[in-house]
Amino acid sequence: MSEFELWGGSGSLCGVALFTWLAVVLTGLLKRKHSGLLFALPTIIGCAFLLSAALFGKNSTQILPFPLFLGDVGFRFVIDPLSRWFLGIIGLIGIPVALFSPGYLHHLRHRVSLGFVWAGLALLMISMVGVVLAANVLTFMVAWEVMALSSFALVIADHEQRDIRRSAFIYLGATRTGTAFLMLGFIWAHHLTGSWVFSEWGLSGTAALVPALLIFVGLATKAGSWPFHLWLPIAHPAAPAPVSAIMSGVMIKTAIYMMVRLFVLGNHFETPALGPILLILGAISAFWGVIFALLQQDLKRLLAYSSVENVGIIMMGLGMSLLGKSYGIPILTQLGLAAALLHTLNHALFKSLLFLGAGAVDARTHVRDLERLGGLIHRMPWTAGAFVVGSAAICALPPLNGFAGEWMLYQGFFGLAQNGESVGLRLGGLLLMGWLALIGALVIACFVKAVGVVFLGNPRSQEAERAREAGKGMLAAQVILALLCIGLGIAAPLVINPLGRIAAQTGSPSLLQNTWTIPIALLALILVGTIGVLAVWLRELARSLPAKRFITWECGFGDLGPRTQYTASSFAQPISRLFGAIYSYAVEINIKGRNRRHFPETVAVEMMHEAHLETKVYAPLLKSIQRMASVFLMRLQAGSIHQYLIYMAVVLGVLIWLGVSR
Amino acid sequence: MRMLLIMIIHLINLLVLPLFLVGVIRKVKALMQNRIGAPILQPFYDLAKMFRKAETVSKTASWVFLWAPRIGVAVSAVVAVLVPWDGALLPSGWAPATNFLLVLYLLALSKFFTMLAAIDTGSAFGGLGASREATISMLVEPTLVIGIGALALGAGNTNLLTIYAGQANPFVAILVGAALLLTALAELSRMPVDDPTTHLELTMVHEAMILEYSGRSLAVIEYASALRTCIFLGLAAQTLLHAWPAYQDLPILSRYAVGIAGVVALGSAVAVAEGVLVKLRWRSVPNFLAFAAVMGLLAALIAVAQVR
Repeated sequence: MSEFELWGGSGSLCGVALFTWLAVVLTGLLKRKHSGLLFALPTIIGCAFLLSAALFGKNSTQILPFPLFLGDVGFRFVIDPLSRWFLGIIGLIGIPVALFSPGYLHHLRHRVSLGFVWAGLALLMISMVGVVLAANVLTFMVAWEVMALSSFALVIADHEQRDIRRSAFIYLGATRTGTAFLMLGFIWAHHLTGSWVFSEWGLSGTAALVPALLIFVGLATKAGSWPFHLWLPIAHPAAPAPVSAIMSGVMIKTAIYMMVRLFVLGNHFETPALGPILLILGAISAFWGVIFALLQQDLKRLLAYSSVENVGIIMMGLGMSLLGKSYGIPILTQLGLAAALLHTLNHALFKSLLFLGAGAVDARTHVRDLERLGGLIHRMPWTAGAFVVGSAAICALPPLNGFAGEWMLYQGFFGLAQNGESVGLRLGGLLLMGWLALIGALVIACFVKAVGVVFLGNPRSQEAERAREAGKGMLAAQVILALLCIGLGIAAPLVINPLGRIAAQTGSPSLLQNTWTIPIALLALILVGTIGVLAVWLRELARSLPAKRFITWECGFGDLGPRTQYTASSFAQPISRLFGAIYSYAVEINIKGRNRRHFPETVAVEMMHEAHLETKVYAPLLKSIQRMASVFLMRLQAGSIHQYLIYMAVVLGVLIWLGVSR
Repeated sequence: MRMLLIMIIHLINLLVLPLFLVGVIRKVKALMQNRIGAPILQPFYDLAKMFRKAETVSKTASWVFLWAPRIGVAVSAVVAVLVPWDGALLPSGWAPATNFLLVLYLLALSKFFTMLAAIDTGSAFGGLGASREATISMLVEPTLVIGIGALALGAGNTNLLTIYAGQANPFVAILVGAALLLTALAELSRMPVDDPTTHLELTMVHEAMILEYSGRSLAVIEYASALRTCIFLGLAAQTLLHAWPAYQDLPILSRYAVGIAGVVALGSAVAVAEGVLVKLRWRSVPNFLAFAAVMGLLAALIAVAQVR
């Protein structure tokens, strides 16, 4: 490879982005009190370089020069349509997040070292780019671990609160477990193939199964797929809002990227078991995520659970793609992959938008409990508008961007129902369509609840009543993302081409050109036109008879106040009662007073919902691990310096022996 | 030219038929209850009256409340044009726009804003109605997708235009048509799921959501819900008609007339059901909708076994 190729094209653009962010990391660590433009501007410039690398760059493989080697393994990078797709996502989300952060971090300035957050954010961006560009295990693991540690540092940034410390340690535990599985899988695969480079792996049959499953578990833990999702709704809400946006919108997608790279593209692990596993776990995650999102009382936790749901939808797409591969139906392979990747981009956009909206609400009210919010649409109109757009997009409502991805998934399942080999497979296709529809309806319920309780109605607390609109930077970030949601929905055909290039990496030429047939732009135009004509006509009518403003109907009782509004928990109650089998759901009402029937003095209502998976599977499991640890590990780590010296001597001896005998 | 003529007839029909259908349903219901009832054209008079009245808007309401009815009626109108009353009626170039998933998600768009508008006024009734509406649509959507999906398997395409242009397996068509009819009862807030005419706001779903609307906005909402009645009953009627082999051989105008007659007949059937049935307890609604789901599943099983 010539010198020119090494540093030309997208590689150099990525390099510039990485060095800009590195500068942010260093300044962040040195100037810890600063915030604002000093950090935001370089971060945005880095993102712009990354975006241009994604849009205009060329594909290449690069190996770093000699000094950067570990043993005989060097750092190795690859830029192909797939990695460029994810580079684009990182750059696209990075810009609004950097715009949002100065205004948001301002309200945390007494609790959090701002430069530290910026440094962590930039390091997280660097490591995500590293993961997406990695071509071998060494590069991948280094970037993956930096990603885990930098995001851990960001989650624990507000470390004076006990809750946040606990969340951060749960997150750390989850990343360690995931990495352990990944390491085992990689070493196994290396053992079988003799190579550390991903593209040189070509395992098939039963040999491929175990390493593929190990790697899958490691990646699924990061992605937040059921049943490895436990950490996600705990860690994501604990981080500052821009960090949650990056973590939910982009970071968990790096695991999706690796799933695509290792399992879907190429023939690295040819095992028929993977497709059904991804499909089933994805289907369960999607349902599980949305049903628990519906139950949540905390806005950011609701959004975090919704990420579990969306990862589930993405994994359903990947599973379908693999199914198509093992049954030899290329249109399924490509539709599944395209749906998964498109939904990855879409989810990055609307989930970061929603997390930023939640952050703006948090910064202005210092409240995340849904039952204490309300009426913010009058006090924060722009934030509310952007949040409504994001919610409609996440509900996959046309003409917004969520629709195209889910529609492709529906089409894929329909293709499975048409072309499947057996009756069971075909019925499965139809049932999965119904499953997706069920999830879609639940998502609508969930986000009607979120928007309705947070932004509409009357404020339920003083904090909500006193809220004012977020600052300009925060608004700009949300508006940009909302416009992207609308634009990408209307311009859905534009992304079919890059998706086709990735689909062509599966081996057969792209079949995607003719799949997206819906004239969404025309339809949006007609809808807007109809609404416009109607609005003009109604305004004409209103000219002679203007509308009167009056209180809401209260059955003649007089002004009833905000407490009589429907609450978040009552909104979710009918649906949560229906699915009571997977969690224990209880409402406890305590009425106290001398004559509690007619003159109650205090009325307290407490809601409780705990997943059986957590209370009956994970809790006993963790407890038994702790017990084992206290029995065996305590002896190993007894606090005696003599013992530790012996360990060191033994390890040194073993290492020397290994080195000599080789 | 002929096509254009039919399109014009269709558009006029879309303006007239929804309100006429509401009138027919009310009349048949009144006859079932031994009343004379209001004239069939009463909904037209009502609408004209409401458009002439000023409206009262809650102080708590925001732009969501104002725009939700307009979005709702625009979506319903576009969907009503797209949902074919017959496979031959629309130009074949429109086929992709009649995709049934697009249609269902467009209707969900209007539902999304209706539910938000219900919460917007801060009224407990609105929240209650929205919560129940969300629950019902969660119970209904899977059946709709599986049912129409089963029908689409025969056509090899998810576009409604293609689905209704060809012959369908009569068993699948009857099962799916019946499932559509049952889900329509829930979607249109009809007995036995919801009673639009009770005196107690607490027992209602759709009426509780639109409780705060009055005057012009209410008129717009009433028209939108009449349109939705037409859309759902039209889907059910078309599906049922496809079980009848001779239907395809009729000339286009008589097919169109038969289609309209089918919609009116189903409307009367709904009214008869309202006269006979009592409203279900809220908690037994899932059991009722389970019938529709089972029919959808049976249709799916037959359709799947018949592919190839």
